[in-house]
Amino acid sequence: MWEWILIFVVVIALVIIVALFFSYYNRIITLSNRIDNAWAQIEVQLKKRADLVPNLVETVKGYMAHEKKAIEMVTKARERMMGAQTVKDKMDAGVELAAAMKTIFALAENYPNLRASENFKLLQEQLDGIESKIAYARQFYNDSVLAYNNAITTFPGRWFAKRMGRTELKLYFEAAEKERTVPKVTF
Amino acid sequence: MQRVSFYDQISKNKRNSVLLVIPITAMVVGLLYLIGYLFAPELAFLMVLFGLFWMAMQAMISYQYGDRAVLSVMKAKPADPVKHVYLINTVEGLSLAAGIPPPKVYVIESEEINAFAVGRDPQHAAVGVTTGALENLNRVELEGVIGHEISHIRNYDIRFMMMIAVFVGFAAILSYLLLRGAFFAGGSRRRDERGGGMAALLILMGLILAVIAPIATRLVQAMISRQREYLADASAVELTRYPEGLASALEKIMNKNSGKMEVSEAISHLFFTDPKRSPLDNLFTTHPPLAERIRRLRQM
Repeated sequence: MWEWILIFVVVIALVIIVALFFSYYNRIITLSNRIDNAWAQIEVQLKKRADLVPNLVETVKGYMAHEKKAIEMVTKARERMMGAQTVKDKMDAGVELAAAMKTIFALAENYPNLRASENFKLLQEQLDGIESKIAYARQFYNDSVLAYNNAITTFPGRWFAKRMGRTELKLYFEAAEKERTVPKVTF
Repeated sequence: MQRVSFYDQISKNKRNSVLLVIPITAMVVGLLYLIGYLFAPELAFLMVLFGLFWMAMQAMISYQYGDRAVLSVMKAKPADPVKHVYLINTVEGLSLAAGIPPPKVYVIESEEINAFAVGRDPQHAAVGVTTGALENLNRVELEGVIGHEISHIRNYDIRFMMMIAVFVGFAAILSYLLLRGAFFAGGSRRRDERGGGMAALLILMGLILAVIAPIATRLVQAMISRQREYLADASAVELTRYPEGLASALEKIMNKNSGKMEVSEAISHLFFTDPKRSPLDNLFTTHPPLAERIRRLRQM
């Protein structure tokens, strides 16, 4: 009789441990996938911003012909962006491109006709939108990283993560807050 | 005042919502059983099963077609990709922050500052704002309001409230049946003699329940809805990281809205603030008082 109770208890305990393992395994994988997805969302927005460049150059060229340097800078930054392969390259190129585009919009202050053109206004709204989307996508990325890091460092998730070989903490986007200030051209 | 983190508020609200569903379900099951008992005591259990099945069917139908019906009732038009580019960008940005696919964007022609969200899950969702909101709110205020609606979508609030509405409607039908049935069955019941004190007590309880249930379920529904509004406010702050934006939008609504938007009672709970305001319906209102919402936001 006692043996049966003992076996019963052991079996129940085993079932609970296996169920826990499954649930933690799935949770850690889900959270890790969410980070990949968050990164993909940032990439989409970075690409959209780069795609604005040809249109921007086309619009600006006629008005500010002798600002060749600035225009060249944007085109170069875009090329670098398109060629970037690693995450770090993409991030660096993204920062460079953002700076180059900001320069163009700042220079545009000296050209009232350009500022008044419908095309330019639309471009500006689009850039504003993309910049804030990049900031939001980064925020989601960092939230996802926080959730993942919490899951693999707190108990008992920590114990399961170790068995899964997932002990390495994911890194945050440092520039997140700085990027939230949208380049604003005053009229 | 102690500061409450938004994570705490979210988990507290979720718990409260679950606790509030229990009394509604209990009431519906009780009504079903009593109707069964009154008409056909042998089949009372079957009656409960059939009733729950019927309710599930109804829930399925509003689950599938609810959002389309609501959008047409509201006279909401899809946002113009050029004219409302700023609104569309804001919605897409905040859905990125929430990690959900971008919902469809709609605009309602109205002077009042308001917004709404519909859809059974983040994949089938839509967000809309009034033209009044677009004209009167600045960037951070609009972000706060949209963040609130996006949170409703992410938290599955719309589905949750839709299901509860089905329960509440069902309870109303059941209590009507029970009250009618009591008049007809009351006479015949006496013949079969197995009644006694117990049966009389049950019938009395049934009558009381039938009178109370429609009111009580409505009350609980309103309470859940208010919890969800607080939760959406807290989650909006999680997305925008700026409580003051939403708080100042609410302040503008308090000062500018006349509270006379032409919206059917059945869908008023989907809106950002009560489209119609009257001082008498404090208990049944689906939205918490604006002043209290502002106070909680400023406390974060």
